[in-house]
Amino acid sequence: MRRKKWIRTVNLFCCLCIITPMLTGCWDRLEIEERAVVLGVSIDSVKSDHSQEEEGEVSHLNNSIPAPNKSLIRVAVQIALPGRIPLGPGESGGGNGPAEKTVWVIDVVGHSIDDAFMNLQQQVSSRLFFGHLRVIVVSESVAKKGLENINDYFRRNPEVRRMAWMMISKGRAIRFMDATPKLERVPTLYLMSTLDEGSRMGKFPKDYIGIFWSNLSKKGQEGFLPYVELKKEQNIEIKGLAYFRGDHLVGITKPLEIAGYLGIKGVNPAGYRVFIQPGDASTAIMTNTTHRKATTKVQIKDNVPHFTITISVELNIEEKLSENIQFNNPAILKQYEKKQEEVSLKFYTDIIKKTQEKGSDIFGFGEYVRGKKPSFWNKNVKSAEGWQKMYKDSTFDIKVSMKLRRIGMKAK
Amino acid sequence: MPINKKKSKTKAIAVGPSSVLERHKGEQISTQMEQTISFIQNILGVNEDLTIRRFHVFGQHPAVIIYFSNMVNQSTINVDIVKPLMYVPNHLIGCSIEIGQLIDVLQNDTLYHGESELESELTTLIESILRGETVVVVDGLDKAFLLGTRNIDKRAIDQPATEQVIRGPREGFIEPLGTNISLIRYRLQSPDLRVETMGIGRRTKSKVAICYMDGITNPKLVKEVNRRLSKIDIDGVLDSGYLEQFIEDNHYSPFPQVQYTERPDKVVANLLEGRVSILVDGSPLALVVPTVFSQFYQTVEDYTERYLLMSSIRLARLIALMFSLIFPSIYVSIISFNPELIPTEFAVAVAGGRAGVPFPAIIEVLIIEISMEVLREATIRLPQQVGGALSIVGVLVIGQAAVSAGFASPITIVIIALTTIGSFATPAYNAALALRLLRFPLIILAGTFGLYGVMIGLILIANHLLSLKSFGVPYLSPLVPTEFQGVKDLIIRGPLWAMNKRPSFLQPMDASKMAANELDNSTDQASNALDPKNDINQQEG
Amino acid sequence: MQDRQITVIQAAAILVSSIIGVGVLALPLFAVKAAESGAPLVTFLGMLLAFVGLFLITVLGMRFPDKSVIEYSQDIIGKGLASFGSVLIIVFFAVLTSLTAREFGEVVVTSVLRSTPVEVTVIVMLLLAAISTRNEITTIAYIHTFYFPLLLVPVLLIVALSLKNAEAINLLPVWGNESKGMMKGTLTIAALFQGTFVLSAVIPSMNKPQNAMKASIGGMLIAGGLYVIIVAAAVSVFGAEEIKQLLWPTLELAKATSLPANILERLDAAFLAVWVTAVFTTLLSSYFLTIHSISKLFRLKDHKLFSYFILPFVFTMAMLPQNIVEMYEIIVNVGQIGLCITIVYPGLLLLISILRKKRGNSVEKKKVDQNR
Repeated sequence: MRRKKWIRTVNLFCCLCIITPMLTGCWDRLEIEERAVVLGVSIDSVKSDHSQEEEGEVSHLNNSIPAPNKSLIRVAVQIALPGRIPLGPGESGGGNGPAEKTVWVIDVVGHSIDDAFMNLQQQVSSRLFFGHLRVIVVSESVAKKGLENINDYFRRNPEVRRMAWMMISKGRAIRFMDATPKLERVPTLYLMSTLDEGSRMGKFPKDYIGIFWSNLSKKGQEGFLPYVELKKEQNIEIKGLAYFRGDHLVGITKPLEIAGYLGIKGVNPAGYRVFIQPGDASTAIMTNTTHRKATTKVQIKDNVPHFTITISVELNIEEKLSENIQFNNPAILKQYEKKQEEVSLKFYTDIIKKTQEKGSDIFGFGEYVRGKKPSFWNKNVKSAEGWQKMYKDSTFDIKVSMKLRRIGMKAK
Repeated sequence: MPINKKKSKTKAIAVGPSSVLERHKGEQISTQMEQTISFIQNILGVNEDLTIRRFHVFGQHPAVIIYFSNMVNQSTINVDIVKPLMYVPNHLIGCSIEIGQLIDVLQNDTLYHGESELESELTTLIESILRGETVVVVDGLDKAFLLGTRNIDKRAIDQPATEQVIRGPREGFIEPLGTNISLIRYRLQSPDLRVETMGIGRRTKSKVAICYMDGITNPKLVKEVNRRLSKIDIDGVLDSGYLEQFIEDNHYSPFPQVQYTERPDKVVANLLEGRVSILVDGSPLALVVPTVFSQFYQTVEDYTERYLLMSSIRLARLIALMFSLIFPSIYVSIISFNPELIPTEFAVAVAGGRAGVPFPAIIEVLIIEISMEVLREATIRLPQQVGGALSIVGVLVIGQAAVSAGFASPITIVIIALTTIGSFATPAYNAALALRLLRFPLIILAGTFGLYGVMIGLILIANHLLSLKSFGVPYLSPLVPTEFQGVKDLIIRGPLWAMNKRPSFLQPMDASKMAANELDNSTDQASNALDPKNDINQQEG
Repeated sequence: MQDRQITVIQAAAILVSSIIGVGVLALPLFAVKAAESGAPLVTFLGMLLAFVGLFLITVLGMRFPDKSVIEYSQDIIGKGLASFGSVLIIVFFAVLTSLTAREFGEVVVTSVLRSTPVEVTVIVMLLLAAISTRNEITTIAYIHTFYFPLLLVPVLLIVALSLKNAEAINLLPVWGNESKGMMKGTLTIAALFQGTFVLSAVIPSMNKPQNAMKASIGGMLIAGGLYVIIVAAAVSVFGAEEIKQLLWPTLELAKATSLPANILERLDAAFLAVWVTAVFTTLLSSYFLTIHSISKLFRLKDHKLFSYFILPFVFTMAMLPQNIVEMYEIIVNVGQIGLCITIVYPGLLLLISILRKKRGNSVEKKKVDQNR
């Protein structure tokens, strides 16, 4: 009995031991409203030289701890203003009207991302919190110089989510932070939903920052990002694919060429519509792709990878431009299918050619070589650079089959 | 309240059991009636309600009848005891009755009263009078008659207030032990039902009944219950809760290791499973041992309704149970540590709601939690007519006011309200209490380490639960150690015909509850008695 | 004397939860470093190698169903040599305990509680384990069984949810492009299974020691299967090259998945929170094994005496690595040294015991022996 009592005392003592650090604890407690919730970040390059003066010497001192000799970047953040975003649905500010901004945009310059954020932190009272960072907009010019530093920072920071979107902007990226689209209370969320919905409608492949990073690291694949432009109503247009070679932006596609990418990868759902006109303009119809399927096979021919891509697409007719044509017999549909196959074949070949010129294999053909022909890969390619060269010489054989399935509610 | 009276009187004497009785222990009744009277008068005479009435048996032998007038049924005494004693029975008229024969005559020919026995020890007389029995002493006899005339006002058998059901019996235990045992016997008319009694409490001498089923309950368990009960040496047992605190295994645990119930049908069901039930005179709550955790979220109704529906309701109850334990702490840790977990839109909105609140989330939650506890406590204490009004005032007005005063954020109020409601969904009040208490350390841990801290707290709680035992039965059985038969009645409630075994962690003597193929038996002979095709009327029409 | 209550299922649960712990977080990185897309294969090989060790321990345990490794090694190779081996085992598992606690502390401090001192997270975990080792071995078995679903559910959930981002091509070729690191990787991964050694302390309390082999096969299949699944999921989602860039790919996998309907937008913090239980059970096992072995070495009946006694030592050892890179280097090195202790040493013991025809009393025979 006595021994039990002794054990109890020890137990009690240990409980105290646990509790004591707690009383001094709460190291990490930071209330949600005390955090500066960063929703979006934009990164621009800085042109003029006098911006050097704008920068405070926060993370470096010009004479003792010099900054790396790298050109400055301008980083803008969009911080949510907690008080301004009403709780619950539709309970908006009333008299103040929609003009009241729900976010706060601040921009700073810095030598690197972290440098810029530190400059920013020096100006903002609450701690910057990246847990809800949803959109990173990088201007075209920065992307051309390379994203190494940007990727490294965001990958290292544990708060940043892999489900965020990174996009390349046409023109200055900071304008995306300032934009005030009408649909969402928070502008960044609109940007994000443009892309999220886009990928749900088949307008754009799923390309979260995490997927971009994975593609970037793969030896047989290059990354790509959405290329966006701000329109005059503060809305955002997906302008194409910005494709990379290594960390550097090397080219941009047209919007429809996104469909080409989706087709070659066989991504569903399919969301693009195209014109087909077997004859003159009056025969033009518009078709809607409903389902895609693509298989890629790789062979080695003459010591060069040869890919056979089979794409089968199912289509619906959405509109026609004149009453000259009647969809009342299968032969007509066949005719259209045939025409579209011809057009598509060229279309797909062109896209691949375009990326081949830049040595940027955004489709991941190299991965097929690595996965299916490892001995060839080990002998001839080995590294990402090797594949970038090899990709240019690769040959392709594309087979397209189009199937017009439905013609809508109209009988003819 | 004779018990209290006795207590107040003897308090002055000494510690320990009544020293007067102790002193006179073993003394025999003398043939001198006056001596006996004076003995009783000495000890109990101060009490105003002690009635000592002298009369003559058969008109010749002086006798006295002694009782506490408030504890007995007067008319029984008048008609069944005094009257027959005064008159010589018809068939003996004329015979002379010697003093030697008197006892036999009185016992066999005179007293109509059923409950009567002879007693020769003086101290027992005192005890019997205190219990509400009537003592008849006849001059010249060295034995006295003890007659069970106890009649204490009791309330009617009522609906159990804390364990109401929609489908199931409506009877609940009341205070007197005898009634409670009758309620059990009435449901379990089996020769195997054993009711052992003992008196516990130095002063109250409360009658404690131990019920079990012979041939089902493991005798080791009965022995252990008896052992633990007999070790109890306290002043008074005013409720079964007193006993609970002495027979439980771990006295420091917040978790109840003994279940209590006021439903006789629940006791019977437990007896049939192989448990032991303990009833105390004066308490409407029976104890059931051994107890495992799953009993606290099961209700009688689970077994009376269809199993599919009750399984889902039991699931809801389990969720409510978890809610009431961890909801506030998860809220605190998400708000102050990991806001990245919740959707961005919601996070921004929460931040908006909290923008004007001056306190950190943990303080805010603690304040609201504590005021909720105060409200709850106040509602129990207040008279019923006022209570309803207060709870509405408390919940609606204070909550609303707290939000608009910038004292708490609306989401906090929602969280705490859900938590409180969740804790009411737990059928067992004592288990709900334990979880209610453990919520606070969890909130503090959440405020220190976030989700990590909550998890540490939960692990500590779970480890404690796993190390608990009730009469040797692991507290979380049949989950751990896993017993596949028992799992059928754990999270879901399996169909009755599938649960044909008694819980094996109780190590019952007879393991099976019903025929193994009970379902087949009952559906075998089923015929469509009223099949329309056999309907003569229809065929004719 | 001893109460033999632990069932086969409980023993298997002990094995699984002893194996699966903080190692899972970095596991895909180790595997990918060794063989790129052949990572699942390496994991599988590591599991096979680890099973050899477990097999030896189980066979030895079944030969001596009443004794733990500390005791029967004395019967087999004599007191002096055995004590040396036992001390090695004790030291190794003390180090393993401290490294596990430190590694998890680092994970927590890096990813969730960024300004909390690492000492605090380490000491909290160690204290939790120390307090829990004060229970009887049956209670410890209950603890392991109880948390068993908590290991399976989050991992399977994350794997299932991440499948929509998976690409099969990432897993090809199955033996990896470069297979030079295969051997070393197998060793590294086999070292992650060393918690299985706890079986040597469990067998003396099993109600049917002759069924121990069932438990070890079952436990190894579940744990190894889970490991392979995790590695395969991580590789198929990220690709081998990306995993090389991530310190804790499994955690990153949790980060990249969200529950349907966005109830939780990212699972990393939640996963880490649930994973506390997994780490706790691993720690509990190695901590228990350490103190159990010490008490057996000193021929004490009660293992509880040492629960708090070795805490300061373990804690100090946990604080020794100066940074996270050094810590991982130590973990890999210690793990490989440990293979000698958990595979070679039992192998030797078994060999000698077969040669010298040593055998303990089996449980059924014991009664007969007593009657004689």
